[in-house]
Amino acid sequence: MHSSILQAINGISFAALLFLLASGFTITFGLMRVVNMAHGAYYLVGGYIGLTITRYTGSFALGVLSGGLAVIPLGYLIDRFLVSRTGENHLAQVLLTVGIAFVLGDVALHIWGGDNLKVPTPIELRGAIELPGGIIYPTYRLLLILFGIVVGLSLWLLYRKTQIGAVVRAGVDDREIVSAIGINIDWLFVLVSALASFLAGMAGVVGGAFLTLYPGAEWEILVYALVVVILGGLGSLEGAMIGALIVGLLDAYGRWLLPEFSYFVLFGPMAVLLLFRPRGIFGREG
Amino acid sequence: MSIATLLRNSISVIGASLLATALGAASAFAQQTGPIKIGLLVPLTGPLATPGTDMVDGFKLFWEQVGNTAGGRKVEYVIADTTCNPDQAITQARRLVHQEKVQIMIGPLCGHEGPAVAQVSKETGIPLVMDTAGADDVTKWNRTPTVVRTAVSASQVGHPFGDYLFKELGARNVTFIGQDYTWGHEVTLGIVQTYKELGGKVAKIIWNPIGTKDYGPTVAAIAPDSDAVVAVVVGADRIRLFEAWFSFGMDKKFKIYGGYWMHQDALPQMDDRAIGMIGNSLHYATGLDTPDNKAFVDAFAKKYKRLPSWFAESAYTASLWSRTAIESIKGNVEDRDAFLKAMRTATIKAPRGTLKMDEYDNPIQNVYVTRIQKINHPVIGSVLINVPIKTYENVSQFWTWTPEEFLKRGPYKR
Amino acid sequence: MNSYRVILFLTALAAALIAPLVAGQYWMSLITQVYIYGLLALSVDLLLGHAGLYSLCQASFFAVAAYTTAILQVRYGYPTIVAAPAGLVAGTLLAGLYGCAVRTRGVYFILITIALGYIIWGAFYRWASFTGGDNGITNVPPPTVAGVSIASQTAYYYFVLGVVIVCAFGYRILTRSPFGLSLRGIKGSESRMQSLGYRTTMHLYVAFVISGAIASLAGVLYVYYNRFINPVAASFQISVEVSLMAIVGGSGTIVGPFIGAGIFLGLRNWVSSFFEMHTAVMGIVFIATVLWAPSGIVGFIERWRTGGARVKGQR
Repeated sequence: MHSSILQAINGISFAALLFLLASGFTITFGLMRVVNMAHGAYYLVGGYIGLTITRYTGSFALGVLSGGLAVIPLGYLIDRFLVSRTGENHLAQVLLTVGIAFVLGDVALHIWGGDNLKVPTPIELRGAIELPGGIIYPTYRLLLILFGIVVGLSLWLLYRKTQIGAVVRAGVDDREIVSAIGINIDWLFVLVSALASFLAGMAGVVGGAFLTLYPGAEWEILVYALVVVILGGLGSLEGAMIGALIVGLLDAYGRWLLPEFSYFVLFGPMAVLLLFRPRGIFGREG
Repeated sequence: MSIATLLRNSISVIGASLLATALGAASAFAQQTGPIKIGLLVPLTGPLATPGTDMVDGFKLFWEQVGNTAGGRKVEYVIADTTCNPDQAITQARRLVHQEKVQIMIGPLCGHEGPAVAQVSKETGIPLVMDTAGADDVTKWNRTPTVVRTAVSASQVGHPFGDYLFKELGARNVTFIGQDYTWGHEVTLGIVQTYKELGGKVAKIIWNPIGTKDYGPTVAAIAPDSDAVVAVVVGADRIRLFEAWFSFGMDKKFKIYGGYWMHQDALPQMDDRAIGMIGNSLHYATGLDTPDNKAFVDAFAKKYKRLPSWFAESAYTASLWSRTAIESIKGNVEDRDAFLKAMRTATIKAPRGTLKMDEYDNPIQNVYVTRIQKINHPVIGSVLINVPIKTYENVSQFWTWTPEEFLKRGPYKR
Repeated sequence: MNSYRVILFLTALAAALIAPLVAGQYWMSLITQVYIYGLLALSVDLLLGHAGLYSLCQASFFAVAAYTTAILQVRYGYPTIVAAPAGLVAGTLLAGLYGCAVRTRGVYFILITIALGYIIWGAFYRWASFTGGDNGITNVPPPTVAGVSIASQTAYYYFVLGVVIVCAFGYRILTRSPFGLSLRGIKGSESRMQSLGYRTTMHLYVAFVISGAIASLAGVLYVYYNRFINPVAASFQISVEVSLMAIVGGSGTIVGPFIGAGIFLGLRNWVSSFFEMHTAVMGIVFIATVLWAPSGIVGFIERWRTGGARVKGQR
C-alpha cells in the first residue's frame, strides 16, 4: 500500500513534467499543423542554459526563467526560416525537425560535454516532506506537481477564458476563417510558438533538476511527450493533461511491477487505443 | 667438380645467405623502428562518460611519463568512443584495426563491451589488453588466446564483500540494488554467493538498467524488513541513487553499503553526506597508503586537479603492463605471440600493488573495502576520498574455489 | 530500360564485382554495410515513395529477424537453413501484426509507427533474461549456404551483393506491376482510388507486410555480417537514418535508397575521422535535403540530365 502510493506520486510528478513539454507540442500542432520533433532538443538546450545560469547566479528561479526565455528566439528562428518552408508536409516536417534536433544535440554535447549534469536546486528544496501515512517524499517533486498544476491551470484559463485564447481556439478549429475576419494569424502563430518554446525550455531546467541532463535525454523525453500527445489527442490542451497523467502513472507502475515489459505497458495500451480511436481521447480532425 | 668450383659455389651460397639475412634484418629493423600504434576504446559520451574520462587521463599520464616510447620505438595512440555500448564498441574496434591499423587494443570500459571487443580480437588476431571491462566470461569460460585482462573480473571484487557483509557488518537480511547488465549481475551475485554460503538471507534484489533516470521507485521498493541495503551501481546511476537515498529519507530507515558505488570519480558530484559510508569493495582505493600509489595519485592530482579513480589507475596500469611486455620483447609487437606471452609472465609493480596474471589471464590482486573520508590533499585541498578499512590479500578471480569447481558452476546469471 | 540505363547498370555491376579485388578489407566491409542498409532503406521507400506512408518502425522488423536468427544459431545451435528463414518469418509476422497501423494516415501513422518501434526496442532492451539486453548476442557464426560456410569477408560480400541484386529485380517487378501502380494511385489521391472501387487499406496493408519482409531480409543479412546484435539495431535512430537514406538517394527509385546508404555511411565514416560533430553534419544533410533536394540525388541527377524536365519517380 505504502509503495503503491509512493509510485503514484512518482507518476504524478513525472506527469507534471511531461505536461509542460507536451502542452506546447500539442497546441503547436493543433494551431499550426506543425509536428516539431525538435521539441525534445528545446528541452535539452533550455535545460543546459538554465543549468549554466543557475550555476553562475545561484538562483534556481532565474535559471528556470532563462531556460525558458532562451529557447524562444531559437524556436522563432527555426520556425521562420526552416519549418515554414515545409508547409503542411508532415513528412518533411518530421525529417527537418529531426535534423534540427541532431544539430542542436551535437552542439549541446560540445558545449556541455557528455556527463550527466544536474541542475542545482535551492537548499530549501533538497529535503523531504513527511506525508500522511508515514511516506517520506522529496520536497522538490511535490513542488513540481504544484508547479505543473499552476501552469496547467494558467494555460487552461488563458485558453478557455480569455479573448486571445478564444482566437487561438478558433484558429485551431478553422484557420482560414480566422484569417478572413482580419486577425493576423501570423502573429498568433509566433505567439503560440513562443509559448510552446518557453514551456519546453522551462521543462528542461525543471526536469534537469531531478532527472539530470545528458546527451540522449532529448529523445527519451520526446518519446514520452509523443505518447502523451497521441493519447490525449493532437491539438487538445485537456488531452495533454489527461494524457500526461496516464503516461506518468503507467510509467511508474510499469517500471515497478513489470520492469522487463515497462515499455510495453506504456506503448501497448496506446497502440490499442489508436487502432480504435486514432484521434486520441480528446482529439479532433487532424 | 673441381675444388675451385666447389669453393666458388660455397662462397656464393654463403655470401648470398649473408646478404639475404642482412636484407631481412634490415627490413625487420625498418618495421621495428616504425611507431607502435595503440588503440584505446573508451566511452567518451553516454552514461559512463565520467569514468571514461578518468580512463583516458590515466592512460595519457602514463605515456607522458615515459615520453611516449616503448622498446625503443615511438608510441602513438588513437582514442575511440564506444559510448558504453557493445554495438559501437565492435564498430570502433574494427575501425581501429582495419583503418587505423593499431597493433594493440586497450579497453573497453564497460563489462558487456568486453565480449564484443574480444570477438573483434579473435576475428583479426590483434591482441587486446582488456581494461576495465570485467565480464567474468572473458577469463573463464570463453577465453580468447589474443585477449589478456589487466584489470579485474567482476565477481572477483564481489566475493570478498559478501564475506565482509556477513562477518564484519553483521548483515543477515539484505536487499540488493544491482545494475542490470553483465558487470552488475556478476558483482552483485558474487557478493550474494559468498554471503549466502555463510548463512545470510537475501530479502530482495532490485535490478535497474544502466541509465535509470529515477531511483525513486527503486528505493521505495526496498524490502521493509531488510537490515541492510547493498548498492552495485555504475555511471550516472551512482549519483542518482545517492540523491534518491537521501531525498526519500531512506537514510533514516535503512543502512546502505556500497558494494560497488562511491568511486573516486563520482565523489565530486556527491557531498559530505557520504562521509563515513562504506564506498566500495574494489581492487583499488585512492587512499591506499603505499609509496607507489602516493606517487601515482600525486602525479595525477598535479596534472588534472582531481584525484584518480580506479578507472584511471586501471588504464595507467594497463599501459604500464603493456609497456613492460613491449620492453621485454625489445619492441617487436609485430610478434603477437611474444607480446602476449610477455604479458602473461610479467610481474608488475602497479600503484595498487604487485600484480601477476593467473593461468586464466586475469590478475591476482588485493581487494580493499573502503570508507569515505574527508582529507586535506596537498594539491587539491579538502576532498572526499576512499580509504581502505579492510584488505583481502591476493584474491584470485576464483576466490577460495578451484578453477574447476568454479567453471563447473557456470556464470552468475540473473 | 533505355540504353543509357542499361550501360549505367552494367557499369555499376562491374564496379561492384571488382570492388573486393581493389579495395581493402575495411572498404569492402563498408560497402557490404551499404548494401544491407540500402536494402533496409528500400523497405522504407516501398511505403514512402510508392504508397505515401512514412513508417518509422522498419528497424523493428530488421532487429526481430536478426535476433531470431542469432538466438537460433548461437543459443540453440540450429543451422543457417533453419535460422535464416525463421528470422525472415519472424520479422514478417511482426509486420503482419504492426500492419494494423495502416488504419491511420498522415501524421498519426507516423506517430504510431514511432511508438510501435519503441515497443520492440524496449522489449529487446529490458527483457534481458531472454534477449541478453544490452549485452546483445555475440559470436554469431558465419552462414552455411548449400553446405558451404561463407566465412570470409569477400565471400560474404558477393553473397550479399547477389541477394541484393535478386531483391532489386523483384522490387522492380513489384513496383511496375498493377499492384505497384495502385499504390502510387493511393499516394496520389486515396479518395479517388476508393471511388474507383479499390480497397485501399488492404493494399496498404499488403505493402506494409512486404516492406516488413524486405526489412527482415536485411536483418538476416546484417546479423551474419556483423556477427553481433544488440538492441541498438531496433532503435528509432536506425529507422530515421534509413528513411533519410531513401530520401537523400532518391525516393521512388530502386537505386536511390542504395545511393543514399552509400552517401550516408560514407559521409559518416569520413567525417567522424576528422570532425567530432558528425551527428550535427548528418543533421545538416537532413535539413538541406528536405529543403532543397527533396527528390534526392537521383532526382538531382535526372533534373540535370534532362535539363529540368520530368523528375524520375513520378510516373
